[in-house]
Amino acid sequence: MHGFFRWSSKWWPGVIPLVVFWAIAAWTSTGPLESDLAARSTAALKDTVLDKSRVAVAGRDVTFAADAFSEEGRRSAVAAVEAVPGVRLVNDETRLVPEAKPFVWSAERDVVRVTLSGSSPLPASKGKLLEAARAALGGVEVVDQMNLSRGAPPRFDNAALLLLDQVGKLKDGKITISDTKVSLSGMARDLGGREAIAAALKNLPEGFSVAANEIKAPPYIFQAYKDPVAVTLTLTGYVPDNSVHAAIVAAAARKFFSEKVVDNLKASVGAPSGFAAAVVPALGALSRLSTGTLVVSDREVKLSGDALYETAPAQIRSNLVKDFQQGWQLKAEISVKPAAAPVDATVCQQLFSELLGKATIRFVSGRANLDPDSAGLLDRLIETALRCPTANIEIGGHSDGDGENAFNQTLSEKRAQAVMEYLVKAGLPAGRFTAIGYGSARPVATNDTDEGKAQNRRIEFVVKE
Amino acid sequence: MTYLATFHWGWLLASLLLGFAMGWIAVVHRGQGVSKPLARWLAVLAAALVAAALARVVPGRAGYWLDLGLIMFALYLAGCAVGSWLRDRVLSGHAKAA
Repeated sequence: MHGFFRWSSKWWPGVIPLVVFWAIAAWTSTGPLESDLAARSTAALKDTVLDKSRVAVAGRDVTFAADAFSEEGRRSAVAAVEAVPGVRLVNDETRLVPEAKPFVWSAERDVVRVTLSGSSPLPASKGKLLEAARAALGGVEVVDQMNLSRGAPPRFDNAALLLLDQVGKLKDGKITISDTKVSLSGMARDLGGREAIAAALKNLPEGFSVAANEIKAPPYIFQAYKDPVAVTLTLTGYVPDNSVHAAIVAAAARKFFSEKVVDNLKASVGAPSGFAAAVVPALGALSRLSTGTLVVSDREVKLSGDALYETAPAQIRSNLVKDFQQGWQLKAEISVKPAAAPVDATVCQQLFSELLGKATIRFVSGRANLDPDSAGLLDRLIETALRCPTANIEIGGHSDGDGENAFNQTLSEKRAQAVMEYLVKAGLPAGRFTAIGYGSARPVATNDTDEGKAQNRRIEFVVKE
Repeated sequence: MTYLATFHWGWLLASLLLGFAMGWIAVVHRGQGVSKPLARWLAVLAAALVAAALARVVPGRAGYWLDLGLIMFALYLAGCAVGSWLRDRVLSGHAKAA
């Protein structure tokens, strides 16, 4: 034993090469050791759910910083790093992801992009939301401004995914979840989009409720354009259903006797109430213009164009407003077409015959009240009468052969009288006209067929020199 | 420790062999040994370093180098002890034979 101490006192010279070894070992191994430990630590964290995870190694000490989503997750992540073989110490710089209160998430759509912002509960759900947004909005740029926060309400992902689907139905607007309250604002892309979104909101996961739904529907637009050059009436826009569609097209065909009706209407839900009741008279007003446009946008009716004579604009305006239901508005910009050049009596007669050859003045059946559908024709007759101011005109009323002669006689007289009154009201001097009823005495066709009878029921304009 | 052993086995083996060689030589070495009081001080220093390493008070790279140095030193001493003991056995065997 004594010898052992003697020998050991002489072991010191070997320490000098040992120190050299040690210095070389430290010099060459520190870098590889650190990167090896960093790789192992990162691998150990692979299955943990963390945000902003960062691992720095100095010697065998690991500095580990990360945002965890629960205290339990945070502890298990630190333990996983501590368990890596070779790690001496873990400097724990982890913390919990801040809790958002209230937990607010929103998706905002403008013309070119969709911005997702606010809080998202986990990296996985954030990714899922982004992916769903890209899928639901094919081609639209999706901007991610979401943070990760704790405190999401249960079933948040399902609610957000459902709402992302609705973003696709918006032209612009914003959908927000604040805790369990959902609020929506903006403009639906299509007619009916508002209703579709409202229906989808009924499927929100349990616990979520709609605090405010201020989605607006795009305006319900109906347009009619009377083109005097192409002699067409073009109808575009929306109608509530097929029966209203048919009624409007039939009314247009009656009111526009010389124009061809081009029907580009589409059926869609979302029409304001009283749509047909407003559009039909508005088409009547348009038929009295030489050229014009009718735009019905929600409950606003815009009529612009040129009337045929001085007193017509005021008449058109007041008649139309009378027909409107409550809540409907008229914006009329009607000017008067410059008067056409005067013509002599013969030409005037020709023009009358031409007009009355295309259409007849209609009356309410069995009575002497003018049918509103004939307003366009009457305005053209007035315009023609104004072109030959010196000519005197006989307005002849004719009936078909049905019924008693005395009744027919009186009816034809009254009808001729009604036409004359209409012309006088338009500003023509009463002295130029004589209204005569001929009853069924001067048929132009056989009274044996309905067609012939229809031809016989007529008003004739005869220019007297 | 296992990790360090597997990572640095080459250096550790080198320390052990160096110790063995030194131990082998020390038995017949005629030079000056370390005096007793100095040896005591060195032992205290070594104990302090071991305590520091076990308490993990030296941070970062320095802590790692300390660990590495102590392990290499420990294996060196073990090598020395084995070397000296074997040489002694060999010498005493010769002596008996003589």
